[in-house]
Amino acid sequence: MTEPILEGRSLVKDYHMGAARLRVLHGVDLAVGRGEFLCVLGPSGSGKSTLLHLLGLLDKPTAGRVRFEGTDAFGQPKRWRDRMRNQAIGFVFQFYHLMPDLSVLGNTLLPAMIQAPAVLWPMRRAGERKRAMEVLERLGLSDRVDHLPRELSGGERQRAALARALVHRPRVLFADEPTGNLDSATGAEIMRVIEDLNRRDGLTVVMVTHDQRVADRADRVVRLRDGRLLHTS
Amino acid sequence: MFADTGTSAWLWPALVGGGLAALALLALVLLTPVYKHILCAKYLFGGWKAVVPMVSCLPAALGVFLLILVFAIMDGFAEETRKMTRGTLSDIIVDAHMEGLPYYDELCRRVEAIEGVEAATPIIETYAVARIKPRFGFVKPLVRPCRIIGIRPAEKVRMGRFREYLKRQRPEAYPSADLLRVPERISEASGEPPRPGGIPGIGLIGAPMAAAEPETVEAGVGRRVAAAAGAVVMLIVTLFVWRAARRRPGHVGWIVGAVACGAACLALAATAVLTPVHETEVERDQVIDVPLLGYGDTLVVSTIPIRASGAIATEPGGLPKVQSRALAVVDYFKSGFWEADSSNVYVDFDVAQQMAGMTGGEGEEGAELARTNQVHVRITDPARGKDLCQAVEKVWFDLVREKGLATAPRLTVSTWEEHQHMILSVVDMQRNIVALMLSAMFLGFGVLIALISYVMAYIKSRDVGILKALGARDAGVGSLFLGYGFIIGLIGVALGMTGSLLMLHYLDAIEIWVNETLDVDVFPRTMYYFDNIPRNISPAWCVAVGLAVLALSTLASAVGGLLAALKQPVEALRYE
Ligand SMILES: Nc1ncnc2c1ncn2[C@@H]1O[C@H](COP(=O)(O)OP(=O)(O)OP(=O)(O)O)[C@@H](O)[C@H]1O
Ligand SMILES: [Mg+2]
Repeated sequence: MTEPILEGRSLVKDYHMGAARLRVLHGVDLAVGRGEFLCVLGPSGSGKSTLLHLLGLLDKPTAGRVRFEGTDAFGQPKRWRDRMRNQAIGFVFQFYHLMPDLSVLGNTLLPAMIQAPAVLWPMRRAGERKRAMEVLERLGLSDRVDHLPRELSGGERQRAALARALVHRPRVLFADEPTGNLDSATGAEIMRVIEDLNRRDGLTVVMVTHDQRVADRADRVVRLRDGRLLHTS
Repeated sequence: MFADTGTSAWLWPALVGGGLAALALLALVLLTPVYKHILCAKYLFGGWKAVVPMVSCLPAALGVFLLILVFAIMDGFAEETRKMTRGTLSDIIVDAHMEGLPYYDELCRRVEAIEGVEAATPIIETYAVARIKPRFGFVKPLVRPCRIIGIRPAEKVRMGRFREYLKRQRPEAYPSADLLRVPERISEASGEPPRPGGIPGIGLIGAPMAAAEPETVEAGVGRRVAAAAGAVVMLIVTLFVWRAARRRPGHVGWIVGAVACGAACLALAATAVLTPVHETEVERDQVIDVPLLGYGDTLVVSTIPIRASGAIATEPGGLPKVQSRALAVVDYFKSGFWEADSSNVYVDFDVAQQMAGMTGGEGEEGAELARTNQVHVRITDPARGKDLCQAVEKVWFDLVREKGLATAPRLTVSTWEEHQHMILSVVDMQRNIVALMLSAMFLGFGVLIALISYVMAYIKSRDVGILKALGARDAGVGSLFLGYGFIIGLIGVALGMTGSLLMLHYLDAIEIWVNETLDVDVFPRTMYYFDNIPRNISPAWCVAVGLAVLALSTLASAVGGLLAALKQPVEALRYE
């Protein structure tokens, strides 16, 4: 394996429901190499999304560490993790999570808009727009850019979410069941784009899936059950 | 209330401070990430759903509206009372009460020599009983308490607004200050010998009554304002319908709707601009004064003279020596200040001095000096009142020392405001209490705004989660909701401010309209002497109210901001 870009060490995640404590992850060790395409498989409720949130710096582990490009992410100030999520990480959620008030283009521009001060935006807008249009075109959404999310089909929404996760050219893409709600043809199309980026641009991909056919195309598959990694292939 | 308390002293610091704050705000708005601007605009104007939270600008608008409107009217009343009470007085009042002070002519001369003093005149003020035998209607004579005020007319007209308050002898008609002579015409007609003249206040010898009088008012203003408001509403509706039409290409209904709304908006705007405002006459109740006595009729006043020692002058046998005198009515006096109008009787200084027993000379208790009760002083710069009071006091002490007075009467030297302190402070207090109560009510509105802001942040919690997942900072997302509250507050303040200022501007027109359409007399002219509802718009108060309400609605929306800032992104994004 190449040098790891991402490393989880003895990751523990507890949820507290009143006095009761629910341990969702029981010390997970996982390293992802640069340019690797990793699939996480596991039954529903096994903690896949939770693991992805920890590795994607969205949520803090109860115990354990996440090293992102060699840096202890949770030893850094929150500002650092915010910047990493904005610039180095792309995230596709299980349920799309597009901003309902923004068009497809607006959603795709969001990472840039979160970063750019208002005074500089008029200067940057054209460049950012061009970049966004390229990504949208690649995902076949060029004739949907002005539509609101509620005017799109499920597959189009998922592609819009993927466009938003890819527009800023992240180094790692996290995708939580990106094909889960799609028919096989659309799912295959999305997989093709991700695979393409992985092979051609060396994008590191961490993907959660139920689908064995999807998992077959990954470099490596890990299985999660009841918050424990089972076996690596 | 801000007018004569050194406005310029804090105006510039306030302007500079406000300017700096505005610049800082502008810098903040320009440097902050652009997603906040875009989302704020979407939350504010993004379709029909955005109208609902927009409603939360209404409490702010109502608060500003009431605070400015009510305060302006209350302050107008206070100001009007101030003017009225001041008009019967002078800038500085030297009061020796009923005991009186001697050497008053000398005192006046020396006071007039003080730099900044324009004139000084002695005034007699003593209490009396007036007996009025009305010309018609009543059989029994009326007996009323009154106050005899002895004036030197030529000097008194230079103090306050005395001359303006005379019914018959307004400046143009009688430029001579010889006000108290019984007009020859009157004595000729009655064939009686001239008597000492007197000017009773209208309240003493007459009654204010309501009568329908024609008055010119501006008509068409109400329609203009209503049409303008309608045009603004229609403009907003048109914009929304137009947006909807663009989103649904091919739906002719929406396009027709947008065009219809636009046409309605234009029609209303045209009505607002083109409705002619013209002067028209309406009949409305006005106060007219119905005097019980005419010019030349007699008013009998009785006083009890007071000696220099302070003892009441007595007849042999110990009964008080009552002085009675018939005064011919030569004019009426009406200041609008009820206390003066209902009891003052102005007579010539010398006559009043006799009635008060202050002429001096050889009395039963030995030689007495001529005395007066008060000295009124007019000064050039009212702001220097306090200083000049001290100067006047010093002049008096010097005079006492020079003349070697063993028992000098105690004087109270005060500005007219201090002199009328009781009345003025009551009116001021009423105004302040109402402002305070409205402010307290507005705190309740603040809670409402906070609630709406909380609900807003709750509804948008998925947006919050997405923004944070994409790297937006906690404080940034919080400030998005703060900015949203600020803009809502700004809209509310603008609405309330415009509404209240318009209302104040067209108050009389609105009052007449209400009067005519609802038949409710909002401002009975018989109750107050004012021709119009008084109002005093203080720019400082408007700015203060605007800023306070803006600050409060921003502060209240911090509740939503805090909720958004503390939200964990994974919590917000867990489910669909
Ligand atoms: N905030 C929370 N509070 C309590 N329990 C939680 C919370 N979040 C997740 N869990 C629990 O943690 C467990 C793992 O959740 P997670 O979403 O990671 O599962 P998953 O493997 O992604 O499942 P799926 O395939 O259905 O998406 C579940 O049993 C869930 O109920
Ligand atoms: Mg999941």
